[in-house]
Amino acid sequence: MSEIAFLGAVEIGLVYAFVAIGVFLAFRVLDFPDLTVDGSFPLGAAVAAVMITSGIDPWTGCLAAILAGAVAGLVTAFLNQRFGILHLLASILTMIALFSINLRIMGRPNVALINQQTVLTPFYGLGIPDYYVRPLVIFVLVIIVAFLVARFLASDFGLAMRATGVNAKMARAQGVRTGVHIYVGMALANGLVGLAGALFAQTNGFADVTTGIGTIVVGLAAVIVGETLFRPRTIVLALIGCVVGSVIYRVAIQFALGADAIGLKASDLNLVTAVLVAVALILPRLRGRKATT
Amino acid sequence: MIRVSGLDIVFGKGTPLEKQALRGIDFSVPEHEFVSVIGSNGAGKSTLLSAIAGDVLPQAGRIEIGGVDVTRSPTAIRAGKVARVFQDPLAGSCGTLSIEENLALAAARGTKRMLGLAITRNRREMFRQRLTELGLGLEGRLDDQMGLLSGGQRQALALVMATLAGADVLLLDEHTAALDPAMAEFVLDLTQRVVQERKVTTLMVTHSMRQALDHGDRTVMLHEGRIILDVSGHERSNLSVEDLIQMFRDVRGQEIDDDSLLIE
Amino acid sequence: MLKYLAAVAAVGFLAIPAKAEDVTVAVTAIVEHPALDAARDGVRDGLADAGYKVGENLTFLYESAQGNPATAAQIARKYVGDGPTVIVPISTPSAQAVVAATKDIPVVFTAVTDPVGAELVKDAAMPGGNVTGVSDLSPLADHLALIKEITPDAKTIGVIFNPGEANSVTLIEKLKEFAGPAGYEVVEASATKTADVQQAARSLVGKVDVIYVPTDNTVVSALEAAVKVAEENGIPLYAGDTDSVPRGAIAAVGFNYYDIGLQTATIVAKVLKGESPGSIPVMQAEGTNLVVNPGAAKKMGVTIPEAVIKRANTVVQ
Repeated sequence: MSEIAFLGAVEIGLVYAFVAIGVFLAFRVLDFPDLTVDGSFPLGAAVAAVMITSGIDPWTGCLAAILAGAVAGLVTAFLNQRFGILHLLASILTMIALFSINLRIMGRPNVALINQQTVLTPFYGLGIPDYYVRPLVIFVLVIIVAFLVARFLASDFGLAMRATGVNAKMARAQGVRTGVHIYVGMALANGLVGLAGALFAQTNGFADVTTGIGTIVVGLAAVIVGETLFRPRTIVLALIGCVVGSVIYRVAIQFALGADAIGLKASDLNLVTAVLVAVALILPRLRGRKATT
Repeated sequence: MIRVSGLDIVFGKGTPLEKQALRGIDFSVPEHEFVSVIGSNGAGKSTLLSAIAGDVLPQAGRIEIGGVDVTRSPTAIRAGKVARVFQDPLAGSCGTLSIEENLALAAARGTKRMLGLAITRNRREMFRQRLTELGLGLEGRLDDQMGLLSGGQRQALALVMATLAGADVLLLDEHTAALDPAMAEFVLDLTQRVVQERKVTTLMVTHSMRQALDHGDRTVMLHEGRIILDVSGHERSNLSVEDLIQMFRDVRGQEIDDDSLLIE
Repeated sequence: MLKYLAAVAAVGFLAIPAKAEDVTVAVTAIVEHPALDAARDGVRDGLADAGYKVGENLTFLYESAQGNPATAAQIARKYVGDGPTVIVPISTPSAQAVVAATKDIPVVFTAVTDPVGAELVKDAAMPGGNVTGVSDLSPLADHLALIKEITPDAKTIGVIFNPGEANSVTLIEKLKEFAGPAGYEVVEASATKTADVQQAARSLVGKVDVIYVPTDNTVVSALEAAVKVAEENGIPLYAGDTDSVPRGAIAAVGFNYYDIGLQTATIVAKVLKGESPGSIPVMQAEGTNLVVNPGAAKKMGVTIPEAVIKRANTVVQ
């Protein structure tokens, strides 16, 4: 694997680390199986791309992408909390609605950003090659966001959110308004996914309505790979696991792409993903069995 | 402290499984009183507790806590005044959170939860002190996951959690029923101690007539959604378990065939 | 440069036929389907005609992104890292991912409908930079003329397309521009995934006189579903690409994707010989290849005029 290909995989892994953290918040912290992300990722990309092409500052575009993603999460939470629609179903409804909404936002299925000012533009031309600049900038953003999320989950409010996911009845008995925490958690999770979409569009030169396909699988794969590696008992470790898991997932894909020699083809990628996640799920059991025998 | 009037609760209203759990309950508990509640299965004991806590909303009647009408307010809002310990030791705490995280959750009960750190040095000091008083050696295990503890330890911690933030009312829902006898004894003693120290108005539901008579200041018996016995003071201190069964027969005019009432 | 000089010197001294220097051409497509695969094969065969043969002096790489833009981005990074002589991305998202990933390696895109709108090049006539290629914007006026010739009474045209595909949306916009003056009304039916194609086709029954399937990746992938509906209801179905005619469309005029691949290969060969991509104008896909399928026409209740059959380059039996 070449240096550029490796750094490219790391960069895309870091972009998807935001998705992994969002998926972690929904699935693990809130225990809310949320497929909204397949829609909120391209939503973030669409909002940021449209704002950037109309001359608005790219950081503002990222912020708007976060807000748009958050609204998507709120809609799913609303369908679930207000009308009692099963979480999975509520999130699927939001996801398919977002496909149409994303098309409306962009006005067409694909908006190009190749020649636009992005959040990365100021960092190009500092003498460092572009393929270093992108992962570095994204890495710094990931660290900032992971820190903020960890700090949030360590607060009274965040702790109550975690309790909502673990034991809602107990949480309510402790005075936690679980509904509020589900709304806030879902908004936060999808806001992060929206940011990932915005950054993906800016680092890869386009926003396309099809970019959302399989986002949830990628996010879950990253979370599970991270959990297997770190077996985290603290939130900080779990978040680091999300980031590392996401990067490992992308590097594994990159490896599969370059593995013609061992007979793998691009069309085997889905199989690679499934095997990766399955191994990550099976490994802890094997280790557990060894420990007991 | 607690005033319940004309409380009617019906489950599954309008369905073939409709069941009237409470029928026009009138009941009040003055401040600092410790009331034990007994009754056979399905008598409405737990429903009464759930209604006071806010988990079940009544069809008719009114519930006041500390002079405030809370009939329609949700559990989370009442939780500032009402603390609870459940029968199932797993229900009262979060197994995947650490001991200190569980305690921090309880410590913030009744406050507005904001973005301040949940586990501060002051809180940790307070937790350590309270756990030391418990005498279970848990003060050195603040970082351990709650799920690693035994049912009895979790129930003891649930009691600590219930009183951490200071509540006006403590609701105990058969909180020793799932424990082995030695641990049940320990938790009961702890309950006695906590209630006395904290001077908290307490309702304790129990299956055991012995427990009901040995603990608290007053005993209430429920049957088919009605209060059929309410004794305190002298009358109560002279009562034996046999008397209680006899009184139950007199009031109801029927044989008791529910063994669980007799369990010691 | 030194190598180039050495090669020239060798030719001069030894007087053997010029053997092109070993080159690597890396091809990637967003998804695998017959038209895009045909384009890829066209590139390979076209390069062979130009003297670049797989197994001799040409390393020919190919990766499909399986319909996933994130994978397309990873393939782009892999290629840029491998440093091939030329990268040939097929379809819009693949091309955008590659162009965003390199400003140095020559890029010759193909099967992109609107390269300027996709920001691949600033100016189709003078691309500049490291990018040029072939646009596959359909010759829509020719398509409408063919529809008029075979089914003169048709007044409304139903189009099935995926509103999520950039190429298709551009096509439909252009089609409407042409349709009005030609006296046609356009009725749209959208299918966002292959499983929706049949239902989209059904939604047109009773509302349209003919169905037109543009060069849409989703719909072309599930063309048989649309053909079935057309046959059952006796609605003539036309296609935007000739590869779809043997699969059941009545007729199509224009290019097939294999020819586009061949055309792309001529640009790639120029770049391999040292021309700068930026100085090669973006080409429009060409070919007035007429393919008809009288058998399919019969099933849809239409007889193709003898004149059209005579003129056809290929008659599917």
